[in-house]
Amino acid sequence: MPVIETWGLTKRYGPVTALTSLDVQVSEGITGLVGANGAGKSTLIKILLGLLAPTEGRADVLGHDIRTDGAAIRAQVGYMPEHECLPPDVRAIDFVVHMGRMSGLPPTAARERAADVLRHVGLAEERYRLMGGYSTGMKQRAKLAQALVHDPRLVLLDEPTNGLDPASREDMLHLVSRIGHDFGIPVLVTSHLLGELERVSDHVIVLDSGALLRSQATGEFTGTTGVLLVEVLGDAQAQHRMGEALAAAGLACRPRGGLIEVDTRHHRPEQRVHDTVRDTAVSLDVGLVRVQAEHGRIEDVFRQEVSHVQQS
Amino acid sequence: MSSSPERRAVIHDIGYRTYDGPRLGTGSVATSLFTTGLLNAYGFGRSAKAKVLPLVVLAIMLVPAVILVAIMVVVGLGEGFIDYSTYATSLFLIISIFVAAQAPVLFSRDLRSGAIVLYLARPLSAAGFALVRWASLAVAILMFVMLPVLVLYAGALAAEADVSEQTGDLLVATAGIALLSAVLATLAGLVSALTLRRGLAVGAVVIALLVSTGFVAAVQSIAVVEGNEAVAVWAGLLSPFTLVDGVQSGLLGGTSSYPAAPETGVMAAVYLLTALAVIGTGLALLVRHYHRQGKR
Ligand SMILES: Nc1ncnc2c1ncn2[C@@H]1O[C@H](COP(=O)(O)OP(=O)(O)OP(=O)(O)O)[C@@H](O)[C@H]1O
Ligand SMILES: [Mg+2]
Repeated sequence: MPVIETWGLTKRYGPVTALTSLDVQVSEGITGLVGANGAGKSTLIKILLGLLAPTEGRADVLGHDIRTDGAAIRAQVGYMPEHECLPPDVRAIDFVVHMGRMSGLPPTAARERAADVLRHVGLAEERYRLMGGYSTGMKQRAKLAQALVHDPRLVLLDEPTNGLDPASREDMLHLVSRIGHDFGIPVLVTSHLLGELERVSDHVIVLDSGALLRSQATGEFTGTTGVLLVEVLGDAQAQHRMGEALAAAGLACRPRGGLIEVDTRHHRPEQRVHDTVRDTAVSLDVGLVRVQAEHGRIEDVFRQEVSHVQQS
Repeated sequence: MSSSPERRAVIHDIGYRTYDGPRLGTGSVATSLFTTGLLNAYGFGRSAKAKVLPLVVLAIMLVPAVILVAIMVVVGLGEGFIDYSTYATSLFLIISIFVAAQAPVLFSRDLRSGAIVLYLARPLSAAGFALVRWASLAVAILMFVMLPVLVLYAGALAAEADVSEQTGDLLVATAGIALLSAVLATLAGLVSALTLRRGLAVGAVVIALLVSTGFVAAVQSIAVVEGNEAVAVWAGLLSPFTLVDGVQSGLLGGTSSYPAAPETGVMAAVYLLTALAVIGTGLALLVRHYHRQGKR
């Protein structure tokens, strides 16, 4: 059973349509929800939490209807909002214990789990400090800790990497990956950086101005594109000679910087292309540095689709 | 076999632990929120400097009571020479400062820091949250005003005053203080929730309480001098302190500390109904305000 399922979900703010008849399914593992600023990511999350009522359509979260079972959903879901949400004059440990209590944990369990999750997010040392003095990275970790303290059945993370420097961004993505893959909690995580989530997510949902653009396994976005990249070593003309020879052998190829791009899509099986490349290099007496299948990126897919949509 | 650093790291990292224990219902969640809010109002569970103001003001509130008790005991004065029901009103300035300074702790802080979103994303409803916050503030004010009164009561008993008489007076004062706390919590809570900047909220509440009370006192004095009792009594509805003082003296037999107080049962009932209407309307507005927060 999917952890989240929506049918024709639509949200309008007066004249602005934030979500347009959205049908999506989210399963176990990590699902990335990507889209540019204003695509409707936060709106979708707030609707799933029952904080906002949809204009049309319906949705189930963990088998509960958002219209009638909001409290049951909120008891089992962990939510990390995109904006600041930490009182500056409270210590992280006290705050996370308190939030655990607000999710229904008994006092002792709340204390134990707060200490546990603060350690998992890397705030073991700093947990006795007032959160007002935290760096952006530490604040994001504390926000994540409060979303985990009650051992949720699902976490909704809205832009967890927002405002982080590259190193903290990596740490946060690593944490997200641990939650989804090691802790076994399904994760829906958003980002406006299209490529950021492809390494950690199992599935990607792409929103464009409130409409569903794509929803598929990450592997399908980032799988091989059918292009083989070839790099050779030899005299100054080596690359040029290699390209000419490959073309003469009947392969569709063209230069790309210091590489030769060979389109294998019309030459099945691909192994034959590999053999041709190797034999050609041998006969021309040039060194073969690499023969590599090119991988796609979510960003490329998104660009192609958006330009396609805009043209039509 | 000696343990390598990696192995030790593994032993330390006990991994993620799931939770299969009980999950408590709305009642215990609300109780926990109430207690935390009450402690927060006195600065507990917050920074060290957050405790300074409430505790200093509480000390100032207690000093007159302690001095009076000392005199009573030393002089052996059997009759408490101050009426419990007038103690609160005579210290309305200090009460106003406490209320103005601490109402934003419960009603602006969550909205300003954004933590309200985390509360609303949890099982307790927006209405439940608003009402529990209100209860924390009302009880915090009640404790603030009751503590010196209890000191006076204990002192009177120590001075061997008449127990039943003293207890009767105490009950009247307690009812009045409870009503005063509810009215003040409603007004100050509402102003704080609508005025997010702490400084502004404190100022707005102090001004509202002091100006209204000063205005009523002035109008009442003038009206009484002019012989216009009716105007004086109606004016008493306009300040929380004169309002509760009127209920206390008109319906409960307490002593009024203001120039005019309701003398007929009907007028006393108008005072009580006004107080209840203020609380009811204020709570409805607070609930509506919190309900809107999740939609932002
Ligand atoms: N309360 C509101 N009132 C009016 N319009 C709103 C409101 N909230 C969001 N919108 C609009 O709805 C659209 C979707 O907003 P949303 O915040 O869901 O986007 P997002 O994908 O989360 O963007 P971001 O990456 O900037 O966080 C935007 O056009 C936004 O301006
Ligand atoms: Mg957003």
